[in-house]
Amino acid sequence: MCTRAVSALAHYLEEEGLATVAISLIRPQTENTKPPRALWVPFELGRPFGPPGDAAFQRRVILAALGMLERDKGPVIIEDFPDDDPRWQLDPGWRPPPIPAPPATGSAEALAAQLEAEIPQLRDAHQRWVAQYSRTAVGLCGLSISECCRYVADWLCGKAPPSPREAFSGPLMLRFAVDDVKAYYLEAAAAGTGKPSSRQLGDWFWNETAAGAAIHALREACLASEDDRLKLIAGNFLVPAARVRGTG
Amino acid sequence: MSQIRDHTLGDRAGPVAASGRDRVLGGSRCQRRNAVSRAGCGLPGSSGGHQAEDLLVSHISINFDRTGLQADWNVAFPLERLKELAADGVIGSVAETHYSFMGASDPIQMEPHARELAGHLKRDQVDSVLLCPV
Repeated sequence: MCTRAVSALAHYLEEEGLATVAISLIRPQTENTKPPRALWVPFELGRPFGPPGDAAFQRRVILAALGMLERDKGPVIIEDFPDDDPRWQLDPGWRPPPIPAPPATGSAEALAAQLEAEIPQLRDAHQRWVAQYSRTAVGLCGLSISECCRYVADWLCGKAPPSPREAFSGPLMLRFAVDDVKAYYLEAAAAGTGKPSSRQLGDWFWNETAAGAAIHALREACLASEDDRLKLIAGNFLVPAARVRGTG
Repeated sequence: MSQIRDHTLGDRAGPVAASGRDRVLGGSRCQRRNAVSRAGCGLPGSSGGHQAEDLLVSHISINFDRTGLQADWNVAFPLERLKELAADGVIGSVAETHYSFMGASDPIQMEPHARELAGHLKRDQVDSVLLCPV
C-alpha cells in the first residue's frame, strides 16, 4: 500500500513540475501504478534504504535513486537496485539473549507459563536497548510488559479476558499486546554491539522462544473462534505472512 | 500529511530550504534540491512541526518489524544521509521540512493533499523529491 501511495504522490508532484524518484518495495505495485521513476529495492518492508547502522549501504541506495532523476526516457522508468537483500547477511558473532529452555510443545497453560517466565530473562537486555537508543516501540497497548504477557497468556489459555482499556476491544487489545511482546523481544535481541540481520532476529523470535510459539498457538486458536473480530485479528495481525507455519 | 522539520536548522517560523547546486545532476537541472516524503511516519494525532528525533512509526503492520527504524531512522527517513551528500557537494542542499503521508490511502483522495504539498515544496524552492514507502 505504501508503494502504491508514493506512486500516486509521484504522479501528482510531477504534474506540478517537481522531479520525483520513488523507492519501490513491491515491484508489481510499482509496475501497476507507473510512477515516472522508481528504484526497486529487494529489501523488506520497514527498511527501504537497507539495514540500520550501515551508512555506506544507505548512501548507495540514495545515490542510485537520485541518479535516476537524470533519466528522461520515460514516461515510466523502473530500475532494480543491484545489491542483495541485507536481511540475508548474517552476523555470525551475534548471540540472542539467553532464555532458559526451548518452548514446550505441551498444553496452552504450559506454554503460557513459559512465556511469562521468559520476560524477566530479557529485562536486562531490553534495558540495554533503551539506554543505547533512547527509544522503544514497546508501549502500544499501555500495559507494562509483564501485564502485557499476562494478557496474551490469558487469551492463549482460552480465558478471553476483557480489555483493560475502554478505548480498545478485547481483540484489538490482544493485537496491540502481541505487537508489544514482539517489539520487546526484538529490541532486547538487537541490543549491544552485534549486528543481527532481521532474518536472524525473526528466526530466533518465531522459532526459538516461548513467545513465538505462544503467538503461533494463539493464532491457530483464534482462527477457530466464532468471533469474527478475533478471526480477523488472528488471520491478519498476529503472525507475519512469511512466518505463518507452512509458508516458510 | 504531516511535516517533519530538521531541528538542526533552528526554530524558524516556517519551512525554508537552503540553496545550493546539485552537482550530481548537473546540466540544466543543476538547481535541484531534495525533500523526502514517505508513508506511515509522524506523530499520531498531529499534522505538523515535528522534530526528526521525535519520529514515530504509527503504522504497525505485522509484516515488518520496527526495530530497524527505532535503531536508525535513516532506514526509512534518510535525513542524515542526504545532509552528508549535501555536505560532500554531491547534491545541492536538503530542504528543512519533509512530509509524511499515510500509506493505506486512496490515491484519488490523496490528490488535493498532494497538490497542497507541491505548493509547500515549490515555496521552499525544492525541485526534486525522493519518495519513500515504509
